[in-house]
Amino acid sequence: MRLKLALEHDSASRGRHVRDIVQELKRLHWVRGALIVAPDGFVIAAELPPTIAVDSLAALAATLGRELETSAARLGRPSVSTALFSADDGTMFLAGSRIGYLIVLADQQVNVQAIRGALADAVALIEAAWSPGEVTP
Amino acid sequence: MPLLRRLWWSRDPLSVPDALRRAEERRREGRYAEAGELVARALELDPDNLHAHLLAAYLHAARRAPGPAKAEFQWVLNHDHTHARALLGLARIALEEGDVTACHDLLRRALRFYPDFPEATALLAAVRARRAEAPPAPHPSAPHAPAHPRVDRLHLPGTGRALIIGRADGGLIASQPVTEDAKDVAEALAHMLHLAAGALERAGLGPLHRAIVDDGHDAVFTRTDGELVVSLALPRATDPTQGLLDVNRLWSATLHELGLAGGTPAIAPPATPVNPPAASDSTGAPHAPQARARAR
Repeated sequence: MRLKLALEHDSASRGRHVRDIVQELKRLHWVRGALIVAPDGFVIAAELPPTIAVDSLAALAATLGRELETSAARLGRPSVSTALFSADDGTMFLAGSRIGYLIVLADQQVNVQAIRGALADAVALIEAAWSPGEVTP
Repeated sequence: MPLLRRLWWSRDPLSVPDALRRAEERRREGRYAEAGELVARALELDPDNLHAHLLAAYLHAARRAPGPAKAEFQWVLNHDHTHARALLGLARIALEEGDVTACHDLLRRALRFYPDFPEATALLAAVRARRAEAPPAPHPSAPHAPAHPRVDRLHLPGTGRALIIGRADGGLIASQPVTEDAKDVAEALAHMLHLAAGALERAGLGPLHRAIVDDGHDAVFTRTDGELVVSLALPRATDPTQGLLDVNRLWSATLHELGLAGGTPAIAPPATPVNPPAASDSTGAPHAPQARARAR
């Protein structure tokens, strides 16, 4: 059974799985783009408008994600599950996962609860597909 | 290393380029531990392989292990002092460790060698914004003392757990309850907001006004105008609209208590109650420019 599970998550399917998660987030109403960025700033998958420089955004998003994690740990707080940052022209959502941070960029009209729910589902999918041993030593 | 994998490897000798190629593939799939094993194998065969050390550094960082990542980035830098990606890696770790000056210097070094380096440029802009405000400079109209008696009169909502009123430079103006770590919380909050503002700018979304950060216990609702920060911790189950209403009310009251209710151009005016949908952003709260126009 364990072997079967391992085969189900071969290289190709795992890569596709990540891209599917990002594409599903991008399809949500009022969402402009989404990406998964590793804690080191590496872009695992991205679906962003061409006007946005992916690498710059990923570098800052990963740094922000790490800051949320490390400051929570430093202050003895539980780790952050989701965060949203609202500006004049839209909102950025961030959720932490085993493999990195999920980022969603959305219009002003977006349904906050719907995106938070979708991010929680996406994180759950990642947690189910990637065992702790695959990420940490 | 699992026994099966060890047996498989013994039958499948990899060259260094093959091991690194496979490691990159695993990295793209978020399989950091497997990628790390492949890099370790490459380093056994070629201990001075710079690409392998760099990849090892990235993988340690991806596994949230800054100590070993730092050692590997440093190894790369010792062998190539102009390596911009190693400098960026060390800069990010310095920032995690709270050393803004070291982070700034490392990024400047990276950009001196490679001026066209978007990640370093973006991070440097965010760090510069933070550094420009240190050492803590008081808000133009805010009190200089760490606590302000009038602000201390603000009332938390019934479910409110904590209130932090601070400056964007991390300085604490007041907190409820008064706790020893309130200063650290204000600093951490300011640091987070700086990075978020930088990311929003890169995403073309404009200046940051509000944040909601959820952990397993609380939902922290924050309002800022880039100078003043008002942050309210409520139970995690709080409806976002209600939480924003509460923080908007406290924002308004804080401006009043600080004598800023008239509003300098940099200060967003009070925004309670929540405005009609046409003037609201995705969080249900009004945008500063629109509210400002109404105030006029």
